[in-house]
Amino acid sequence: MRTMAIVAFACVVTAIGALANESHTHRERTWVAPAAVDSMQNPLKNRPETGAGGQKLFRQRCSICHADDGTGAKPGPNLMLRRVQQQSDGAFFWKISSGNTRTGMPGFSFLPRLQRWQLVKHLRSLAEPTQPRMLSPAKTKR
Amino acid sequence: MFVRWCVGLALLLVICFISPTSAQDRAYFVTYDHYLEEPGNLEIAVATTTGMPKRDQPAYTAPWLELEYGLTGWWTGELYLEGVTTRGNGDAFTGWRFENRFRPLKSEHRINPVIYVEYENINEASRIQKEIVGAGGLEFDPIAELKDEHAHELEVKLILSSAVGDWNVAENLIVERNLSKSEGFEFGYALGVSRPLGTIASGTSCRFCRENVRLGAELYGGLGSSVEFARSEQRHFLAPVVNWNLGNRISVKASVGFGLTDTTDRYLLRFGLAYEFPVRSR
Repeated sequence: MRTMAIVAFACVVTAIGALANESHTHRERTWVAPAAVDSMQNPLKNRPETGAGGQKLFRQRCSICHADDGTGAKPGPNLMLRRVQQQSDGAFFWKISSGNTRTGMPGFSFLPRLQRWQLVKHLRSLAEPTQPRMLSPAKTKR
Repeated sequence: MFVRWCVGLALLLVICFISPTSAQDRAYFVTYDHYLEEPGNLEIAVATTTGMPKRDQPAYTAPWLELEYGLTGWWTGELYLEGVTTRGNGDAFTGWRFENRFRPLKSEHRINPVIYVEYENINEASRIQKEIVGAGGLEFDPIAELKDEHAHELEVKLILSSAVGDWNVAENLIVERNLSKSEGFEFGYALGVSRPLGTIASGTSCRFCRENVRLGAELYGGLGSSVEFARSEQRHFLAPVVNWNLGNRISVKASVGFGLTDTTDRYLLRFGLAYEFPVRSR
């Protein structure tokens, strides 16, 4: 009887958690990195050979929420937006490292620092207008 | 039967090569760090603990199945089913555990606390040793007798974990209470350090790159209880660990735990295989 009660309690708690998750992503619209991180410089800025690794990491770790081309998927925001790209490299690095448990954005501080900087470098390359990017078939005009 | 079922599931996981996303990078078997399961992700894992006792007791293998689900960004729930098989001493299903991990802080800090609460409905034949608490060695009576001694236990951990450069450093303080009989509060600990081998990601897709391998070590053990606190009865293990992210959402990990006291097994060999995939949009 006691076991059944505990199992029932666990199920109720789990259901409440699932419901809480449905609504929490809309609660926090602004997420601002500390001003102190704006002065951080990307150590890989002048190492173009590291760009492909950043793209691979992005596909492995980020594209499930932000789409392969960074234009966003539920619930990850569009990373091409001006208000996103206006942030400093340091802010990107801080957000990738820290995550945000309230929005569901995982923290990636388990990745080595240089890999996180590779991700920052790739985020910047997404918004570069001169760089030709492959369009996904669904978005290609025929 | 349970062992065969776990082996079958492991084979199923190996052949499930579906998409290029990564599996989790947790290297430890016993120690917990502050990284929770991503919300909406389910991780299915099978693992075994094989014990080589010091004296003439029979060796044993304890497999377990682990279902870990990210409920929210700050809450991960996990269900375990576990068994045991021994050389000539019987085998059995040894129970289930339901655990929850809560991360109270919104973002990363120098030290990141996580609260862990687990209910265990197991029996005395349990050998997986996901944590070690209290004092004294394992009981080596026939499994058929041990499995009839049921235990309802509540376990709480304070998990403290930090990213220090490219290293992870994690400390767990464990308190367990047997709700079935009066054993007082039992205490244990786990400490872990790990880091990836490669610090920069290569541009090619590769399984054998250094960046896919994480090495570390964990130290864990039981300290005693509020009823008995004898240093000679404590159990401590030191275990190097390795985690290999195979890509395609699959990772494997292994460790060899060396028993450091008289009451420990000589070795604890652990092997785990995990497969992680999204079951709902986040």
